[in-house]
Amino acid sequence: MIAGYAPAPVAARMENHGSSMLKIAMVTGQDVFARSGSMVAYEGFVQYEPNPPAVRQMASAWLTGESAPLMKCSGDGLLYLADYGADVVCLNLNNESVSVNGTNLLAFDAHLTWGVERVKGLAKFAGQGLFNVGVSGQGWVAVTSRGTPIVVDCGSGADETYVDPDALVAWSSGLKMKAKRSFRAGALIGRGSGEAFQIAFSGQGFVVVQPSEDSTDRLRIRG
Amino acid sequence: MAREFQRGHKAKISDLTAGTDLYVGVQITGPGMTFDISCFGLDDKEQLSDDRYFIFFNQPKSPEESLQLLGAQSGDTESFRVTLDRIPASIKKLSFTATIDGNGQMSQIAPGYLRVVAGGEEVARYSFSGAEFSTERAIMVADIYLKDVWRFAAVGQGFDGGLDALLRNFGGEVAEEEPAAPEQAAAPGFAPPGGVPGFAPPPGGPAPAPAPAPAPAFGAPAPAPAPAPVPQPAATPPPLPAPAFGAPPGQGGDPAIHQAPTMVAPMTAPPGQAPPGQPPFGQVPPPGAPPAAPGFGGQPPFGQVPGQAPGQFPGQPGAPGAGYGQPPVPAQGAGLAAAMQKYRETPTGQRWTQQNPKMMRADLGQGGGQPVLARQGSMVLYQGKVDFGYKGAGFTGRIVGNATGQEMQLMRCTGGGQVFFAENAAYLHPIELQGDAICVSAENVLAFDESLQHEVRRIEGHGIPGGALFTMQFQGTGTVVVKTHGTPVVLPVTPTTYADSNAIVAWSAASQVIISSQVRLRRTAYPGHSGETVNLQFRGAPGNFIVVQPYEV
Repeated sequence: MIAGYAPAPVAARMENHGSSMLKIAMVTGQDVFARSGSMVAYEGFVQYEPNPPAVRQMASAWLTGESAPLMKCSGDGLLYLADYGADVVCLNLNNESVSVNGTNLLAFDAHLTWGVERVKGLAKFAGQGLFNVGVSGQGWVAVTSRGTPIVVDCGSGADETYVDPDALVAWSSGLKMKAKRSFRAGALIGRGSGEAFQIAFSGQGFVVVQPSEDSTDRLRIRG
Repeated sequence: MAREFQRGHKAKISDLTAGTDLYVGVQITGPGMTFDISCFGLDDKEQLSDDRYFIFFNQPKSPEESLQLLGAQSGDTESFRVTLDRIPASIKKLSFTATIDGNGQMSQIAPGYLRVVAGGEEVARYSFSGAEFSTERAIMVADIYLKDVWRFAAVGQGFDGGLDALLRNFGGEVAEEEPAAPEQAAAPGFAPPGGVPGFAPPPGGPAPAPAPAPAPAFGAPAPAPAPAPVPQPAATPPPLPAPAFGAPPGQGGDPAIHQAPTMVAPMTAPPGQAPPGQPPFGQVPPPGAPPAAPGFGGQPPFGQVPGQAPGQFPGQPGAPGAGYGQPPVPAQGAGLAAAMQKYRETPTGQRWTQQNPKMMRADLGQGGGQPVLARQGSMVLYQGKVDFGYKGAGFTGRIVGNATGQEMQLMRCTGGGQVFFAENAAYLHPIELQGDAICVSAENVLAFDESLQHEVRRIEGHGIPGGALFTMQFQGTGTVVVKTHGTPVVLPVTPTTYADSNAIVAWSAASQVIISSQVRLRRTAYPGHSGETVNLQFRGAPGNFIVVQPYEV
């Protein structure tokens, strides 16, 4: 019974172990930023630096600016990360850029260019934890999704694509986004707020959506 | 979303999907026309050296069943199942062709497509229309061919002759009457009405008689057999080439197409295009991959120098040494698009499409199709002009008013476009009703067609949370999407079928529900327990069923 779950040989810097665990092959000099508290196991010599200065700088816009929910991992070894059983998707960026909902970001290579972005007009979502991290360059990013995600092309129709902010995982940079509020009295979508919020995307690119509207930041508690 | 191919585009199958079990569907229609869609398994000389690999209506599968004809389904005029890793080594190329059976010419066809579906997801689509053709009677639609790895090419090449000429083009024979093969006698009967005169299937499917691999005429560019539908005696070598192509010479399925460097067809999503000329990334078996995990400590895993400058992952374009060894299974080519590929939206024209076990797409249709009722907040994404309105019908109020524990509010989705529904990563199950009826626990309803008649029922009983169990009974024609936590079990209704009222999901409406209370003898065994458990007992004729989820709330 145990035999089936042994780790597979390392084949890439970041890869899945099962659907919901991320395995990172750590090498000195190639640090990784990971969600605080997402480490479930490691093997070898890996050190963790919570709230590193670089992150603090970058993430000053992050939420209230207290402590950024990222830690810097460095060393040699195998690092296993998970986020409460959420599905993990590894992306190998090839000089591309992607925006990831902060809640859904699990880990990324430290040498990637990244920054916390706030979307204009979406400040009201920030209270719900909607901030996103733009990551670009050449390297790996791991994203979590509650349930198998779905990738939808935005450019396929003339109409915009509207996404429930609670279900949004990531999107390709370069999409135009704006907030949409349905003022129709009868419109009731979302978490019973009585007002419907959606994010409208337009342009060429894709949007990744998870089949769950649960965006509570589980790891924030652990800090 | 499928990758759209244009004529002449090619791609590695492994870039499209990690799977090797492919479904190839061809849709081709035309007014008053019927089509024969076939698959030729060709050898390295592009000849049909083994006519058991000519898959057509009369020979629906190859001996080892790596190629199978599945017939019309899912909107496709014809479909094939191709299991790439079971195709024998002698077969280097699969050519999918469509020929007109009867009168007509290819310029009359309606827009059609050839698509490749892997794992239930469409990964490639090549669309064509009659405007691209003229008087041809056949099209070589697309090829799946082996050049180092299996690749897909959108060919879209017209051909003047019919199926028999096409067959001779590939070096096969058109046998007319050959008593040796049993199928031959019946051959005329197989030909659909109005069949091309003189057409007959090749010598018997199981018969080992390999067509005498004829003169390598086809290896040269622009060969073309006579299109004349003159039946050839079985033993005769293929006919002479004749300039009968309806297209410029040198194009007729010529090998040159496949010797050209593989270009990546445009993706629907622009980011993450693999740059052309990239080394065969993700295809190379990991030469330098360490065999096991303990290889890390300071040692270079995956052939990497420790302390190497960040960003220099070998195997990535621009980095030297392509020995990175991508694992083949995760199908992570370079870039975002490759990683996203397996999560792409599945495009089909159906009203309800399951995207993955936890997400459902409803296509409302353009211009005010039928509305969908859904649980509030279950929309995760929509495209198009969709209005979401509060569904405040009386029955909703009744639910809310009566049961505090089982609040259910619906919204009405109207307009045109696609809406994606999901909730809490629960598993979704579309149940298509065709005049029959089903009862679903109100908690487990995610969405349903408004065309269905639905009514709320209340099952009262002591011990049920909230005092009553609310169920919705659906009847009519349409689809109900039911969500369950975990994989449900479907039990037939027998004289002794009981279910927990919290775990019950649905049952066929013909079965009768009885509340049964059991008094526990050892009521002190569970402190705080009421000593009474409430179960639902089901009674019904054989054929009724209940659905129970592994989750009790």
